[in-house]
Amino acid sequence: MTATVTRPAPPRRQAGHGGGSRRDREMWVLMLPALVPVLLFSVGPLLYGIGLAFTDAEAGRNHVTSFVGLANFGDLLADDEFWSSIRIGLVWAVSVTVLQFLASLGLALLLNQRLWFRGLARVLAVVPWAMPPVVIGLMWRLVYHPDAGILNSTLGTDVNWLADFTWALPAVIVMGVWSGMPQTTVVLLAGLQGVPRELYEAVEVDGAGTWRRFWNITLPQLRPIIVTITSLDFVWNVNQFSLVYVLTQGGPGGRTRLPMLFAYEEAFRYGFFGYAATLGLTIVIVVLALLGFYLWRQLREVS
Amino acid sequence: MRLKSALAAAAIVALTAACGGGGAEQEPSSGEPVKLDFLSLAWQKESVEANKQLVEEWNKANPGVQVTYVQGSWDTVNDQLVTSFEGGDAPDVIHDDSPALSGFAAKGYLLDLKDKVPAELRSDIPQPAWDTVTFGDGKGGEGVFGVPFLQESHVIIANKKLLDAAKVRIPTSGEPWTWDEFADISKKLTKGDTYGVAWPMKSPVNKTLNLALNFGGTFFQTTGGKTTVKVGAEEKEVLQRIHDQLYKDKSADTAALGMGTADPLPGFFADKYAMLPVGVFLRQQVAEQAPDGFEWVTLPPLKGVSAEQGAVSQTLSVAADSKHPDEAVTFISFFLNGPNQAKLARGDWLLPTSVKAASDPVLTTEENGWDVATASGKNLVVAPFLKVNGFDEWKSKVATPVLQEFYANKITIDEAAKRLVDDGNKVLERYQR
Repeated sequence: MTATVTRPAPPRRQAGHGGGSRRDREMWVLMLPALVPVLLFSVGPLLYGIGLAFTDAEAGRNHVTSFVGLANFGDLLADDEFWSSIRIGLVWAVSVTVLQFLASLGLALLLNQRLWFRGLARVLAVVPWAMPPVVIGLMWRLVYHPDAGILNSTLGTDVNWLADFTWALPAVIVMGVWSGMPQTTVVLLAGLQGVPRELYEAVEVDGAGTWRRFWNITLPQLRPIIVTITSLDFVWNVNQFSLVYVLTQGGPGGRTRLPMLFAYEEAFRYGFFGYAATLGLTIVIVVLALLGFYLWRQLREVS
Repeated sequence: MRLKSALAAAAIVALTAACGGGGAEQEPSSGEPVKLDFLSLAWQKESVEANKQLVEEWNKANPGVQVTYVQGSWDTVNDQLVTSFEGGDAPDVIHDDSPALSGFAAKGYLLDLKDKVPAELRSDIPQPAWDTVTFGDGKGGEGVFGVPFLQESHVIIANKKLLDAAKVRIPTSGEPWTWDEFADISKKLTKGDTYGVAWPMKSPVNKTLNLALNFGGTFFQTTGGKTTVKVGAEEKEVLQRIHDQLYKDKSADTAALGMGTADPLPGFFADKYAMLPVGVFLRQQVAEQAPDGFEWVTLPPLKGVSAEQGAVSQTLSVAADSKHPDEAVTFISFFLNGPNQAKLARGDWLLPTSVKAASDPVLTTEENGWDVATASGKNLVVAPFLKVNGFDEWKSKVATPVLQEFYANKITIDEAAKRLVDDGNKVLERYQR
């Protein structure tokens, strides 16, 4: 299947543009080292996965895989577990993205002020970024631990946060917000520093207060950056796996089973590879649709 | 990168499929020793030591067959095995448990040991234990896909001082408590800050299903080759009794419901809970962690219509892909002979399947309740759910949430029964196409 894609387009021979064909060839030669791994390790498996979505591939030696067309998609639409995981996934992705954005914007504005130890504070803000997701998950497991956790001892409560049907998802969302803040903050901070000073000086002459300055200068100036980072965050959050896997494994009773955890379970716990691939493909389509709509609206408002 | 994790599942399959094809290795020439990988899931310190020591012993005595000890973990073993079976690099000797074997057997990943187990080992392990590893091979036949060696029964660990103070009858293996008696005594023990019993139900399914056999509750029925979920009067019995203790008698602490098996121990040592219905292995943690002067006893399993409990076994299996299956079986028969099983059972505080091991004086002493624990082994029968294809998915998608909600008093017993059956049958259907 991959062969059709991996073959680079033959260099065109164009009369009259003798130099062009040589340049083409050189370009391909130069791109080859970068292209081969991409085709081999990204595009290949990607196409294989898409293909898999239309088969009934299963784990096991006794199973003969056959093409089933759209049957997997039909099963998926009728699967309550799938819808509930999509619902959980959207609640998770939207709330994490929004909260992450608001918290990061606040932090970025703060770090953009002339504070004492600003350098140190900026470094500290990036620390969560340096941690692998598994470490973050384990750390938060300690925070939420019913007996030894810092949260219960601070609040004086006795809640088993991660095993509680109501609290598990909010608890996981808080962790998600925390772990994703650094990159959002850094990007917004960079954006803030790119806002021309003259604009602020101009409105100060008009006597505008802090709020007006923020609303009329900072936000519109940051807009392209905000759109970019929230879209990226949203995609990352929909596809989040490791954080939640370490923290709850999708429990209790599937209340934190994000779509990717669902796909993982289908493939590697129950062995339904074809069905899991369908799920993956469906998530891609859902994300593309939501993102397309969001970007389209943002672009329309700009123009 | 993360963008692509959407298709990570498929990507890994693609890669493993690609790698699996080219893995043909050369047979070692006659002078070189055969090499076997042994994936062990031992995790308690004593048990890891016992395992490693046995491997070392074998390696010394058999220079021609060298075994490498590979440490695995119960949490991830089945995911890990699916990928390594598909990739063709599974370990030769695999430690797992019988519920997992049924799926792997049907998928053709494991070697049928029916005609390979030596007679001596075969006769040392009674037939009910062999039943826990006998499964369909996915091609219409049946086979034996592992050697069962450690089993768990549910006993009651109790605070001796509180029992004595309440002047209750101390049960014996010959005359155990009935469930009615247990409910009465739990009520009697509930006083002040003390609850009679704590039911740690973080993972409620296996515990509930194994105990349900006390009243003949099987939860599954097979008619005409089609398996369906069944929740009738027999199945509801244990569910209702535990629920009554929580909400009617109030002799069980509802706060303990979300706990894992070992979590109520601090409360148990602090006289907050008088009794813990738990697996025999928990005796190890009780013996190790109990404060000085704390007296505890192991009480035999409860009796309903019978004292029968569903049993699953820990097992050693051989991968179908193993290049040295005969050497692997020989290693297993050494590893699981009578004296060695006694060592392993002691290390894990579980019950050996071997008849010889069970008569080992260490496993029949009164100390730490070994006599009661070992005697409870006779109540073990093969758990009906073992033979159900798709049980794992039913358990995690349907039964775990339903039972958790039921024990948390969020749904009624009839709602619970309806969901276990309706949602459950939908799950099972996928495996019977």
